[in-house]
Amino acid sequence: MDLVRHLRYFTVLAEELHFGNAAIRLGMAQPPLSQRIKRLEEELGVRLFDRGGRQVRLTDAGLRLLGEAREIVDRVDRLHELARHGEGAVLKVGVPPDLAAAVIAALVEGFREANPEVRLSPSEIWTADQVTALTGGTIDVGLVRHPVNAPGLGFGPLLVQPQGVLLAESDPLAGSGELHLADLAGRELVMPPKEGEPGMHAEALAECRRHGYVPGRIHQGAGLGLVLAGMAVAFAPRTEVPGLAWRPLLGSPIAYRVSTAWRAETDAVKDFSALTVRILKERAGMTDEAAAPVRRVSRRPGMLA
Amino acid sequence: MIGPVFGELFRVAGVTGWLFATDLDSGREVGHDPDEWLPIASMFKVALLVELCRQADAGRLDLSGRVTVRGAERVSGPTGLSAMLDDVTMSLRDLAYLMIAVSDNTAADALLARVGMDAVNAMLEGFGFEATRVLMGAGETNASMAEDTGHGWPYLDPEDLARMRALDPRRTNRSTPRELARLLGLIWRDEAASPECCAWMRAVLNLQVWPHRLASGFPYDDVAVSGKTGTLPTMRGEAGVVEYPDGGRYAVAVVTRSFSPALNQPRADAVIGTAARMAVDHLRR
Repeated sequence: MDLVRHLRYFTVLAEELHFGNAAIRLGMAQPPLSQRIKRLEEELGVRLFDRGGRQVRLTDAGLRLLGEAREIVDRVDRLHELARHGEGAVLKVGVPPDLAAAVIAALVEGFREANPEVRLSPSEIWTADQVTALTGGTIDVGLVRHPVNAPGLGFGPLLVQPQGVLLAESDPLAGSGELHLADLAGRELVMPPKEGEPGMHAEALAECRRHGYVPGRIHQGAGLGLVLAGMAVAFAPRTEVPGLAWRPLLGSPIAYRVSTAWRAETDAVKDFSALTVRILKERAGMTDEAAAPVRRVSRRPGMLA
Repeated sequence: MIGPVFGELFRVAGVTGWLFATDLDSGREVGHDPDEWLPIASMFKVALLVELCRQADAGRLDLSGRVTVRGAERVSGPTGLSAMLDDVTMSLRDLAYLMIAVSDNTAADALLARVGMDAVNAMLEGFGFEATRVLMGAGETNASMAEDTGHGWPYLDPEDLARMRALDPRRTNRSTPRELARLLGLIWRDEAASPECCAWMRAVLNLQVWPHRLASGFPYDDVAVSGKTGTLPTMRGEAGVVEYPDGGRYAVAVVTRSFSPALNQPRADAVIGTAARMAVDHLRR
């Protein structure tokens, strides 16, 4: 058996204590994960987990072995990394597909200037897939949207980006200087895919409902064709697209929170992370996370009459 | 940039309109014939409220002091004490609450009798208001309409309307949209009276019950609209303050005269909110 790989399964399951979540992080199905944990237990001759009902718990033996197992996995990761550096360093980076093209270009250019010896290899992937890729080592550093549930990952400082609304120029609402979420009533909404951005999806839609906007239908994707066709609206940072109007949202109720994320904080990861924070602030209108303003709900007398 | 097209908006709603809106913090402003002298109907009650507070600040009256309003002294009106039949004893500040929240005419005249019309006008003059004056109590306004037309409610005939002193800004309670907004601004900036009294006036103005005018332009849970309406045959108005979730504060006054004398004109009410929203939106661009 591949002992290191089995130990990696062990450490991930020990962090998640949930077969389904651990399998997602490992990018595999749940039954094989379960079988491999069983094989590892046979190999070591001890039970690592108690599987009572829906709960998974570490046994005393599992707890005793966990530290050692982590050490082995981390050392093997480090070995691979050293080997990679030897063959000309590459930094594999994940960015959300809806990040503005100009921002991606600025990131690549900025990193190339500061670290000419490291080649940047970016790929466009959504947050949930970045988490899997970071855990599995297919990318070294990512740019993820919060809230994100990913034990074992390190995160850079949180940045916030208030969203406005993109709508067709012909939409009557385009005549206003700014819009309230409630004004969007009756319009369909384009959002990044729910599987790719589960946290952001849930938070943005909860905020929509709280402000009186319940989209009749949510189209999943990053394309703006439906918006251009006047069939839907989308949330976006300030941007100029021919045929579309961008309007700020009154009270900035929708704000996406992003940060860099990594599993191992190497020098290249640190450099990229610092550069990303700077470029996102300069080019993408992001700011350091401040305390969210308290929402004050007016109490007009008629509401309870 | 080109300002909003208020004239077209008012025309489509079947009214002539006058408007003034200002950002209470930056001083930016937008208007549509904002200096026209206009009848203000019940909006005069805001000036009365301010003078009531100033007399309380000066120790000349006690806001919690009780007053008995007899059943026989009632001024006609559809709300509050005006609609009640029996003697009522309540404090001056509770009378003031009824005067603002439901535009109670009886409460207004009971307060005017204690505060004095001359004192209200002296206060307005002291603040430099040139147009704004209170010349009639609520009961007097009602009585003048009956005298001028020779008959009682309703007043639907254009010739009757033309004869009414209550609609003639030279002879009735009057102001301009700019001065109405400025008066609200004094309350919101703690300049109209003591800060405690200004805070109480803001709270009372926020309790106004009518949703169909200024508030209809801002149908959002996180936007607060406070104000006072004014209504007479063909005349509809409201002056108030709109407060946005980011802290933006805007004093807005809108007065309209409808082409038709019909009493029920939802579009004429709603355009007050629509125009106010357009004005605030313009100030925030």
